[in-house]
Amino acid sequence: MTGCNVRVTAVRFAYGEREALRGIDLAIGAGERVALVGPNGAGKTTLTRLLVALRRPTAGRVTVGDWDVATRRPDEMARRVGYVFQHADQQLFARTVADDVAFGPRCLGRGRAGVAAVLDELGLGDAGDLHPYDVPAPARKLVALAGVLAMEPAVLILDEPTAGLDRVQRSRVVAALGRRAEAGVTVLAVSHDLGFVAEAADRIVAMREGRIAADLDARELLYDRAALGGLGLRPPAVVEVSDALGLAGRPVRFAEAVEAMRGITWREQISE
Amino acid sequence: MTALVALERVGFTYPGAARAALSDVSLELAAGEVLVVTGETGAGASTLLLVATGFAPRVVGGRLTGGRHIAARRCGVVFARPWTQLTGLCSTVQDEIAFGPASYGLPRQAVLDAAARAMRELRVEHLAGREPSQLSGGELQRVVVAAALALDPEVLALDDPAAELDPEAADALYDVLPAIAASGKAVVVATPDLERAARVATRAVKVEGGRIATSGAPAAVLEGTEPSLLARAAGCPPPWPLDVPALVGRVRR
Repeated sequence: MTGCNVRVTAVRFAYGEREALRGIDLAIGAGERVALVGPNGAGKTTLTRLLVALRRPTAGRVTVGDWDVATRRPDEMARRVGYVFQHADQQLFARTVADDVAFGPRCLGRGRAGVAAVLDELGLGDAGDLHPYDVPAPARKLVALAGVLAMEPAVLILDEPTAGLDRVQRSRVVAALGRRAEAGVTVLAVSHDLGFVAEAADRIVAMREGRIAADLDARELLYDRAALGGLGLRPPAVVEVSDALGLAGRPVRFAEAVEAMRGITWREQISE
Repeated sequence: MTALVALERVGFTYPGAARAALSDVSLELAAGEVLVVTGETGAGASTLLLVATGFAPRVVGGRLTGGRHIAARRCGVVFARPWTQLTGLCSTVQDEIAFGPASYGLPRQAVLDAAARAMRELRVEHLAGREPSQLSGGELQRVVVAAALALDPEVLALDDPAAELDPEAADALYDVLPAIAASGKAVVVATPDLERAARVATRAVKVEGGRIATSGAPAAVLEGTEPSLLARAAGCPPPWPLDVPALVGRVRR
């Protein structure tokens, strides 16, 4: 697995009369971990769909590595870019979880190699024989993610990957994405969950009304209350706690904050 | 207060499933309360909503055991995957939201009023003329909640209603829940979002393996909020603070 640059140049897109993207310029380097945030309807999902040729821009150009997306079909793009839909149920179709996850690698001629390892990685080791719809709804997103990871794409795009997931599942997703990024895979995650964004991304691109409103280092943006407020966002709990306690090093991740909180003296609960 | 829903040692098994999804669940729901149901994925929180509102087994099939009494004249449920809930028959959001009251045969003005009120409460008036299938995931989720509310249910059950909402919209949705409860309804929310849940819950239940593990005051049940986990990991003695101000208050300067 090696990563790919993703480049979006002067891209516009409209659903009929309604313009959803109004001039987007964005370059993401191989191995970067980028979060795409912004209010509902800002154009985040639309932008990601252009990257895999599920939609074609009305103007501008999208490239992934040396591929001009305009000349590629969605099934070709799937070899290079793995995409987990916001509603992942839409991409599950096999009779068992393991078969679903194996579909991609089999299409690539790799058989079922790596399927068991990916299922284990996401905590689905015991779910392989289940029908995908017998897995709780939020965990189906993990099944879809496993299917995409098993294809070993150069670019990973995830639309709201943690919606509905519990804490343990969320940390598995963070770890899986971290391992891929270390191996050079480019990761782009659309998310409203700034706690997840803080754990999983180094750079945050914020969209509003079809435009890029901010493109900043994650730590910088997460500590900039005014900028976050302007985007309709609030800092995640870890940042709020760190800020309120004035912790050193501006922690944004749980483990960083716990480390910075060493040495704190706690009061016993004061009864009311 | 009379219970709108009473469950007495209820068990429920989905069709074809080997194991029960709920076992030995006793619970009452009363008007005016916001009950938060939490638990790990697969623990049974969503199933509890379906059983408490009568959708299981009536709609989903399966087998119910124990005693269940639903006194509420109408229950509304908003599922975690909002697109499954669209009628598929309406070309505008306003029609979609009016579909429920219209199908109850209310007079035209009453239908329009119900739809307008629900759209106002969920702040989706600006979407009234849009095609439901063209909405973003988050917009759709609010529209579906408005459609459930337009039916004026006595029990409103919401399954992870803010999963796809941006933070402002999620806050806005949670903020309307106490007012909905205060208007004489019981609101029950299943969610892993403990921070927002803690803000609105009047009572909370935690399910584990299909059973109620703990229930009672939110502070006692919703112990897994991010500030509480941070405090715990950093050596704070219990009880762990649920929110940021409480955590800051526990630090000796």
